[in-house]
Amino acid sequence: MSEEGQMRVRTLTVVGVGLVVAIGLVWGTQVGLIGQTAGTQAGASLRTPWGEPDLQGIWTEEFDTPLERPDGLGNREFYTDEEYAEADNERARLLAEQSGSSGDRRSAPGSQNDVAGAYSNAHLSFKHLGRRTSLIVDPPNGRMPALTPEAQALATAEDEWRRELLRSTETCELELPACSGQEYDPVPSPRRSESAPRYNTGRMNRHDDPEDGAFGDRCLLGSIAPSETAFGGNFRRIIQTPGGITMYYDQGQGQGFQRNIVMDGSPHLPEKIRQWWGDSRGHWEGDTLVIDVTNFTPKQNFRGSRENLHLVERWTRTGPDTLEYEVTIEDPTVWVQPWTVKQELGRQSDQENRIYYEPRCHEGNYGFPALLKGARLAEEEYEAGVGPHPATFDNATGSGIQRFPGSR
Amino acid sequence: MHNRIRGLFKGSTLGVVLAASAISAVISMSMTRMTGQVTRPATVDGQPNLSGIWQANNEANWDLEAHAARAGSVMQEGIYPYPYARVPAAPVVALGAAAGVPGSLGVVQGDGEIPYTTEAAAIKQENGEHWIDRDPELKCYLPGIPRAMYMPYPFKITQSTNKIHMSYAFANAARTIHLDDVARPPDYTYMGHSVGRWEGDTLVVAVDYFNGKNWFDRAGNFHSEALRLEERFTLVTPDRIQYDVTIEDANVFTRPWRISMPLYRRVEPNIQLLEYRCTEFAEEFMYGMLRKEPLVTRWEGETMIVDVTRKVPEGDALYDWYRK
Repeated sequence: MSEEGQMRVRTLTVVGVGLVVAIGLVWGTQVGLIGQTAGTQAGASLRTPWGEPDLQGIWTEEFDTPLERPDGLGNREFYTDEEYAEADNERARLLAEQSGSSGDRRSAPGSQNDVAGAYSNAHLSFKHLGRRTSLIVDPPNGRMPALTPEAQALATAEDEWRRELLRSTETCELELPACSGQEYDPVPSPRRSESAPRYNTGRMNRHDDPEDGAFGDRCLLGSIAPSETAFGGNFRRIIQTPGGITMYYDQGQGQGFQRNIVMDGSPHLPEKIRQWWGDSRGHWEGDTLVIDVTNFTPKQNFRGSRENLHLVERWTRTGPDTLEYEVTIEDPTVWVQPWTVKQELGRQSDQENRIYYEPRCHEGNYGFPALLKGARLAEEEYEAGVGPHPATFDNATGSGIQRFPGSR
Repeated sequence: MHNRIRGLFKGSTLGVVLAASAISAVISMSMTRMTGQVTRPATVDGQPNLSGIWQANNEANWDLEAHAARAGSVMQEGIYPYPYARVPAAPVVALGAAAGVPGSLGVVQGDGEIPYTTEAAAIKQENGEHWIDRDPELKCYLPGIPRAMYMPYPFKITQSTNKIHMSYAFANAARTIHLDDVARPPDYTYMGHSVGRWEGDTLVVAVDYFNGKNWFDRAGNFHSEALRLEERFTLVTPDRIQYDVTIEDANVFTRPWRISMPLYRRVEPNIQLLEYRCTEFAEEFMYGMLRKEPLVTRWEGETMIVDVTRKVPEGDALYDWYRK
């Protein structure tokens, strides 16, 4: 054979071998011989069998960290060992002092304030302080940036509205802290028949309609954007598949929700499609999952931010039991600059499976219609001349003052 | 040297190209499946890959059993006493033909009838008549399994190695199918506790720990907390799962029975799950009568005026629900 012919044979042989190898690779993968690494069950590998960073598991914050940095720590992200020991001990002492009621009210058992305490310590979880001085890492001083003038005006309007609804209550007559400095006026406010300044999401002292209810009472809570250790905890279960990720959240009292992260590189939903949990679109940057979230509905409310909320999250597996979560939060109509939160999450036991049995707040919500019914009864009794004007009831702040229909 | 290399390429370029395209064709046909912009491997960890967005396309959510079309989803007696001459009732009159019930061949296997005990059959009959008061779907309650699988909303399967997630658009419902060992739930549940295993190419899921508060459909077919399911998912083609469920509940049925239906992949290239957070949608239905100024007392249409005052039957008020 000529030299050229020999070369041709050799090339075709190489190609032919390559073909066989390629077919072998395909067959091997099909039957699962290739690409088998230890999965999340063993906990040994930090990559999925298809080669992505493995973020799977049940994750939660194992330590308490305030949103904003306490005074006197400047730009320091972490406590020194000494500072940490002192701060953690002091906090433990304060928590231990509060027996029988929630919040920071100290109340004698059986007192009016004690009766208003809705949850005993059996319902709350107490965690050690974290090493981080604050969840906020940017701005560097660990504090939230200022509100824009328009956001400040809206916040003031909402605050005024809520205080107007309290002005005739005993809470204000007695100048209790829950009255927030509103001046007492026995004449019920004429503003009681107005609509709330914006779509209402918080608690207010009126129950004319279901929309007057706080989201917690309507079972419409559940937030991607983080808060301080949420009442009832914040657990996330992450599951991955090639080209897809879902996260199930278990928050608060049966207020969990699902997130399905779109990973195909396509653009966000059209402007006009607005959702409670926005539109999550993710991609990998090295070993970090970056998720961009937009398209929030104006009904959702994250610290005053409504439809213009924009989140950029960064999820990174940092060890067998640790995951770093970072989110940059921006809304140019609310904050003068974006701000960033960073958290370390701890992996929980798959076998114990303590997450997201189901978010059944709504299915058990007999309290909410009771709030509406109670308001209608108070109005009936006032009309019949046997009860005080409904505006004198404080059904919003839990200040501890209680009235019963027919009493004075 | 140069001549040799040139010679290397000259004669066998075609061969190289042919071989390369053969290789890539083999790889792309067996390993991946292009659906729009998503590249989805045919297997995950050696098992058939069920991931993607799916939806049933039948009338099972109306009624699992075979039935003819009906004039209204809520009906009242018309001018004739015959059941086939009933007419739509006030709650749905305004929706006209959009509120009828489509006919169906049914999804119940065997003789097509659900084997109720005598007492349970009477309850089912009552349920059907009290549909709008008793059906958890109208309140946007978690729909349970198997109902969530065939409601007219898409759902997403995310298949990993030891867990499979099913995210349902309706009511933000979801379930985790555990392929590994987990502790039992602390309480009975709406969506059940799902434990799965692979039998060859079929995903078999055992579901129990139900709280018995759900229905199978809008016709009043129901179960108790003793419900146990065995589901079987088989990928028949890349875009179709055959979904088969064996249902047993000794409190309600005389024997186990089966439903079976195809589930179809939503193949639109830009498909993604959108929210159907109906908690607030149901508020007017559940609490509207408690408004200070009710929004609905009287509806006046072009040709009719309907007073939508209706007395809720004894035992079906919202508060009775919680005591069940």
